[in-house]
Amino acid sequence: MSSQHVLLSPAELSYLHASLSLQPLPLRPDGRSPTQFRPLVAETGILPGTNGSARICFADGTEAIVGVKAEVERTVQPFTQDTQTTQDEGETPAEDERRKEEVGGSDWVEMTVEIPGYRDDDPTTVFLGQMLQEALLADGEFTKRLRINGRFHWKIYLDILLISPPLSYPLPLLSLTTHLALLSARLPRLKSEGDEDPLFDDDWAASTYVYPRDNNKKDGKDGNNKVVARPPVTLLVMAVGNNIIFDPAREELAVADVALAVSVGEETTTTTTQTGGDDDVDMEEGSTPGKRRLRLLSVRTIDPPSRLTPPGVPNATNTAYTAPTGTAEAKTQDGARTLETERVEGVWKAPRGGAKVMVMAALVAKVLEKGGVADEVLDGLEAVDLG
Amino acid sequence: MPITIIAPKPAQQRYAAPQDSPDASDSEEGDDLSEGGADLEGDISMGHRPAKKARTDGKYEIVTPGEVITDDPQWMRGHGTYVSPAATSIISSVAGTVTRTNKLLSVRPLRARYTPEVGDLVVGRIVEVQAKRWRVDVGSTQLASLPLSAINLPGGILRRRTDTDELQIRTFFAEGDLLVAEVQQLYQDGGAVLHTRSLKYGKLRNGIFVAVSGMGGGGGVVRSRRQVWTLDAANGGGQIDIVLGVNGYVWISKHVEPVLAEDQKTTPTTAGPITNAPTTTGITNLEESVSATMYSSQNDRIEVETMREIARLRGVITALVENGLRVDEDMVMKGYHEAVEMALTYGEGGQDDVYLGGERGEQLAAVLRGR
Repeated sequence: MSSQHVLLSPAELSYLHASLSLQPLPLRPDGRSPTQFRPLVAETGILPGTNGSARICFADGTEAIVGVKAEVERTVQPFTQDTQTTQDEGETPAEDERRKEEVGGSDWVEMTVEIPGYRDDDPTTVFLGQMLQEALLADGEFTKRLRINGRFHWKIYLDILLISPPLSYPLPLLSLTTHLALLSARLPRLKSEGDEDPLFDDDWAASTYVYPRDNNKKDGKDGNNKVVARPPVTLLVMAVGNNIIFDPAREELAVADVALAVSVGEETTTTTTQTGGDDDVDMEEGSTPGKRRLRLLSVRTIDPPSRLTPPGVPNATNTAYTAPTGTAEAKTQDGARTLETERVEGVWKAPRGGAKVMVMAALVAKVLEKGGVADEVLDGLEAVDLG
Repeated sequence: MPITIIAPKPAQQRYAAPQDSPDASDSEEGDDLSEGGADLEGDISMGHRPAKKARTDGKYEIVTPGEVITDDPQWMRGHGTYVSPAATSIISSVAGTVTRTNKLLSVRPLRARYTPEVGDLVVGRIVEVQAKRWRVDVGSTQLASLPLSAINLPGGILRRRTDTDELQIRTFFAEGDLLVAEVQQLYQDGGAVLHTRSLKYGKLRNGIFVAVSGMGGGGGVVRSRRQVWTLDAANGGGQIDIVLGVNGYVWISKHVEPVLAEDQKTTPTTAGPITNAPTTTGITNLEESVSATMYSSQNDRIEVETMREIARLRGVITALVENGLRVDEDMVMKGYHEAVEMALTYGEGGQDDVYLGGERGEQLAAVLRGR
């Protein structure tokens, strides 16, 4: 999936690539360290008509708002009579049924992304929405929380709005805002019991958080988490040369060799490690109490716009360059054609070929590093006042 | 700490302090810009939106398009306002602040696109190549045009543009290329025609581009005496060129002496004049030697120190804009020297000292305001 098209001159691309692939540390155009995010302004609870909402904006004016709305929906009852006949011998139908009920369905969450200047069926928008939804549903923890009883469940509508035109690939911004909105989302307290028709408490003050927390222990003493579980975050990571860079700005992404969207969740302390699906990888890091255990939920490659950029013309083949370079004859023959040339220093050439497996592994490992970026991002988001 | 999350600033602040001087108004408007363009009142606490009457108390008022400024017929309408045919009331046509000059009412937009004027030095980006001209993005409402006849041919040859030149139009400028040019002429509808017929103008390379908001608002590039200058960078960065386009597009690059005819190898000399050059380059063939490299898209070798100082300058300019300060030679140079001094206090980290976002930018702006 291609991220947005950027128009940069070959000279700019060459400069950016050179400065980002510097060793030992890259030099980013805005001087950030490779793991540093752009400073952002965040607040929650801005929309009174929603169950939970958040707003995040960057200093450059990019701004996103997410609203979470919940609705009671009747759970579709599967036909237990029919399935009984074609059941495998491994599981009893009742067990299977209960598991299905507890986990919930992926249609319990509806996510829409709106980006100004893009149609809502534009591939970019759809891809962004799917990526965020996938991360949220990957571990099945979220839909479990939406179950009211055997017959009813909450249906969650997540409306993600980018208010400004996207100055950079908006994935991290949207993901962080969604994270905060979900953290601040509250549902009315259930008064009824069992499989009755649900009846809720009118008092909003008595409502419960979707992601429950411990209000008394503000600073999370030994073994006590402040927020018991957390929604996932999706981070954008890219590689240029041998450098790994987080939260790339638009012009940085334009020279990326590889770009990955890595969704990271937090393993809840109560559940035991279970083997996940195909793209679920558990990080076995020892269960120290009070420390979070990160869990990789999904990885998507983002097609970096660098592949579509036009190559620079080296002086040796540039007809408009008349300073003597020693190869004047070759120049006249080549004419205006852009030739496949060897890499010349200072001339931009778009990266070719796919991403190396080693690079991808390094990117993912860097995200999941203990005390690394994902850890600190989750810490930072935790510190936001969830009004 | 890789992530810094700042609590939002309270929105009502600006009503508390009515402006006394034009400077104060500039800084206040800048706060709006730093939060992202038109930051309307009440977007944080929707519950208690201040009553409309509260606005007239302070001198600082924000109006939105379509809002009636006054019904009083004694006022004359100025820029940013209109009078509907039926009524006499003056209505704002932009979002901005009301300014009163005697009996003239005008609205200064919070943020506006660049309006070209003849003689402006602009930095532009080619977005379209047509048969006989380029279409250039200069941050205006329309694309500017650069005719093939308004560029210097390589080597300074003076002749009519032929079909061959038209066929080779992409060898001069292709899509995405950045150039510095001058506004030569304006159309009735505000579209600009550019030219690059000077040794100062042409394609840009060896550096980095940053777009800041143009006219309007407190911040941004203002028209000034010098828009292009070369500075001696600190920390062994060599010489750095800065081009402040009036349209708010800025180019920061390594200063490169022109390649001269007798140099077989294209070794750029950064410091000082070339010693053996003046023998062959006189006033008569200056154009020839300078414009030879005009259409090159190959960067020269740039030292790490230079890159660091270029990044620092970019940080200074971004910090100025985000904090609503004007961007001109004076401010950039002051800000740069301040940033270099500030970097010493960030200490031994090495790489980290270039960063000027967030709190550091505010610190820098506070120091510059204090001067």
